[in-house]
Amino acid sequence: MRARALVFVRLLVRPMLREPVRTALTVLAVALGVGVVVAIEAAGRAAVGSFRSSLETVAGKADYEITAAGGVPEGLLARLARLPLPLELAPRLEGSARLAAAGAPVHLVGVDLVAEAALVPVQGAEFLEAWRKPDSIWCGRAVCASPGERLRLVIHDSTHDYTVRGLLDGAELDFTLILDIAAAQEVLRKSGRLDRIEVRLLGPAPADLEAQLRKALPDGILLRPAGARREENQKMLAAFRWNLRVLSFIALIVGAFLIYNTIAVSVVRRRAEIGLLRALGATRAGVAAAFLAEGALFGGIGALVGLACGRLMAEGALRLIAATVETLYAAGAPASVRLDSGLLGLAFAVGIPTALASALAPALEAARVAPVEALAPGRYHWERRLAARRNLAVSAALAAAAAVASFGPPLGGRPVLGYLAALLLIAAMALSMPALIAAAARLKLAGLAGIEAQLALRSLRASLGRSSVLAGALATAVAMMIAVAVLVGSFRETVSVWLEQQLSADFYLQPASAAGAERDATLDAGLAAELARLDEVAEVERFRAYDISFNGLPAYLAGVETELARRRGKLRFLPGQNREAILARLGEGDYAIVSEPFSAKHSLRPGDRLRLPLAGRAAEFEVLGVYYDYSNERGYVVVDRAVLLGYLPDPAPTSLAIYLKDGADPAAARDAIARACHDRQVRLISSRNLLEEALGIFDRTFAITWALEAIAVSVAVIGMAGALLALVIDRRRELALVRFLGGTARQLRRLLVAEAAVLGLLGLLAGGALGLLLALILILINKQSFGWTIQLHWPVGLLAAALGLVYLATLAASLYPARVARKLNPVEVIHEE
Amino acid sequence: MALLELENVWKTYRTDGVTVEALRGVSLEVGRGEFVALVGPSGCGKTTLLNLAGAMDQPTAGEVRIDGVSTRRLDDAQLARLRRSKIGFVFQSFQLLATLTAVENVELPLLLAGRAGARRIALDRLEWVGLAELAHRFPHQLSGGQMQRVAIARALAASPRLVLADEPTGNLDSATGESIIALLGRIAAEQGTAVLMATHSREAAASSDRIIRLRDGRIEAVEEIARR
Repeated sequence: MRARALVFVRLLVRPMLREPVRTALTVLAVALGVGVVVAIEAAGRAAVGSFRSSLETVAGKADYEITAAGGVPEGLLARLARLPLPLELAPRLEGSARLAAAGAPVHLVGVDLVAEAALVPVQGAEFLEAWRKPDSIWCGRAVCASPGERLRLVIHDSTHDYTVRGLLDGAELDFTLILDIAAAQEVLRKSGRLDRIEVRLLGPAPADLEAQLRKALPDGILLRPAGARREENQKMLAAFRWNLRVLSFIALIVGAFLIYNTIAVSVVRRRAEIGLLRALGATRAGVAAAFLAEGALFGGIGALVGLACGRLMAEGALRLIAATVETLYAAGAPASVRLDSGLLGLAFAVGIPTALASALAPALEAARVAPVEALAPGRYHWERRLAARRNLAVSAALAAAAAVASFGPPLGGRPVLGYLAALLLIAAMALSMPALIAAAARLKLAGLAGIEAQLALRSLRASLGRSSVLAGALATAVAMMIAVAVLVGSFRETVSVWLEQQLSADFYLQPASAAGAERDATLDAGLAAELARLDEVAEVERFRAYDISFNGLPAYLAGVETELARRRGKLRFLPGQNREAILARLGEGDYAIVSEPFSAKHSLRPGDRLRLPLAGRAAEFEVLGVYYDYSNERGYVVVDRAVLLGYLPDPAPTSLAIYLKDGADPAAARDAIARACHDRQVRLISSRNLLEEALGIFDRTFAITWALEAIAVSVAVIGMAGALLALVIDRRRELALVRFLGGTARQLRRLLVAEAAVLGLLGLLAGGALGLLLALILILINKQSFGWTIQLHWPVGLLAAALGLVYLATLAASLYPARVARKLNPVEVIHEE
Repeated sequence: MALLELENVWKTYRTDGVTVEALRGVSLEVGRGEFVALVGPSGCGKTTLLNLAGAMDQPTAGEVRIDGVSTRRLDDAQLARLRRSKIGFVFQSFQLLATLTAVENVELPLLLAGRAGARRIALDRLEWVGLAELAHRFPHQLSGGQMQRVAIARALAASPRLVLADEPTGNLDSATGESIIALLGRIAAEQGTAVLMATHSREAAASSDRIIRLRDGRIEAVEEIARR
């Protein structure tokens, strides 16, 4: 064992140390790939950490929760208390608010403080004293520094002043405020209703507990295991996180190409030594193991360095992800990034297997070296034995398999076949690269680009194994860059066009406390009528949304003013559906339209029936149509406002859309509206600003994908630099010979830059073609993950700029190797033997 | 005027504080069409002398003139142009590029010089050395003698005035070696090219016009060979 280790160190490790630059570049390429994966995972965990409902921490472990869209009637509490079951019942109210001073979103929780006084850190007489006062509140340590302070909150569209009676312990409660449930009902405008009733078992439960509870609940009230809502939210995030994870693996795949190349080069260089070892008695398995160990060493060191890189990158990643999570999913402060044993394990679990998988083929090649190589080195050339034709056939087969897979359905809600199709396409491209290079080498470039380019092509053809791997790595990174650019560009254009159509009003009004994806904040019910009476205003459209649960996923139920929406050109339906007919029928009864994401998630089509439990009644709607909606991922069920009020009678709107009269002055109108709102806490925004804001959110959401792409390309370019350096070192005899034959030092440099230029060009071309195909697959994946239809759009300017930058970087990567080549002393090199 | 002139040439190397005088005041001339052999034990300075003659290195003292031009006055690019137009090299270990075919190896110096018709000239040279039918073989598909012939064809590609051969038969059996020496002799006789060959082989040296014996960096003796 010790002897083997010694041989390994001398044969493989020492040469690594003798070429510190090249070794460092390879390790860096791996480290970046691993680092990205770790960063995305760490950031994702921290972002999701904010979802742990502060409610759970407040309440402790409940066994069940009782909920209903529109709220649970509070009378139910008494009914359930009368059941002969060993239960403890805890009513809960929730709402979002903002700190008036800082504008930060906070989480309001209403609890029955008399029954659950232990939740707050003030007991006894002091507690009763506080409880009697209607302005009492207990808050988390991020909200307020000490008891006795005054706190102003914006709830819905009004401000409320409170006195802090005590502070809550625990980081999960940092942004939480607790108040008595009666006070909460009043201030959250949920009189007579509760958001949920938590059920705790006090003793051994009868076998039919759930059946008894369900029997006691009216139609339209749900009984679910506790934590159901948190799970729903996490499911929403899961798709988002999953897609990010997959993207993070791209950099790693590029790194895999480079490890393959490094080990393969190592094998080629040491053919004679391997032959000698075999002649001296080493087994094939031993030789293969040595090179696999070399791969594992790169993987291991890369993983360690990658862990450090990942920790650094995680903060940045979290900033990018958290903004998206807050905007699209839920408000809440993210947890801090923590490097724990799980992440350490991930780094190694990702780095080492990738390295081993990449090193496998070259290691097996090494095992096949015959002992006679020691006696007659240089006779065999691995480079040439590539069977380009056979690879092309396999490549075609993989491409066909990819085509089939790309049309497959999602598995378990995930676009797994789509991911598989992408991987198959990358493999197909990699296998076709030798044939591509061989074809390019037949071009006569001397007249066009100088003799150095001609020689470069020939030399690339001659070392087909290496050059195709390098070009393949670059092509993979470029392909992902193009695919994501086309996806994001198409998505942005689709959303932009949709927004232009949807935002047909002049102004929009929302309660100031509205935050994140929650829709429970409302405006004063009479505000719409007041605004409609203004001179400048033609009409005001009221929109009301409720957070609901459907099939275990969060969604929205909304009421719209159908006739107004129809007149104002809003709501575009999927092809083949008659908008006029649908909107004409919508207000006539229990009919609904659903948004595209909702339809995709729950497989609902026009003609299907939709059952919704609504505040004590089980409602059933017929789906009339599916409309395009890019505002969020949860999906909407939309009914006519009058129909909604029949089930959920609260007339307060979630938002208002204000249409001005023709010729009205927008500035004057804005002032008039602001005056009409008096001191209500509202947010008035023009449609132009709303459009910009929405696109801004969109751009921030995808900022992280750009970052990932940049890293993948960097990995490829770094790898290219290292590999070109290796080429120089391995071909120093050839390069020295060129000097003997009359080549100038400048020609040598031009030769190397030409090789990088040709590799870069081939990488860009192959990457471009692959990228376009991947873009189509990504659009399909997006549809399967989130349910959105995206219209294809080519961001030509952006792509040209990005590709130009990549090409320049590739050329720059050749400068250091070219310098090394120039500095070779031909006399020393030729006479080395 | 001699094609190659070395005038009181010294070459000193310094490595790790140790000074080695590879050549000490060597003076010689090689004329057009002359076939000169350099002999001497290992380390006597043969290879150093060839490197200086081939404008691959500069003397520490003294002057090297190739076709009347002193190499001291030339910069790197000018030296390279000199090599590509006037000098051909033949090495002991052939030094063919393993990844190019025979004809591609031969045309390489022409491509570097940007010469038109490189392929035609290369095939012509291969024909001259008797290997036209093997033009598209790779080096590992050729025997040692064939590889050295290709190397000679390459050395002749640009119609040089001077061919420098360093132990050209060192890796060959005696019969093959003889044919290579004969080829070098033909170059001098038929093409008027000066040939300077370093060799350990007495038989090879005997085929030349003149033998220059080196020892410890100095010319020990010069022997004219009577022509048959």
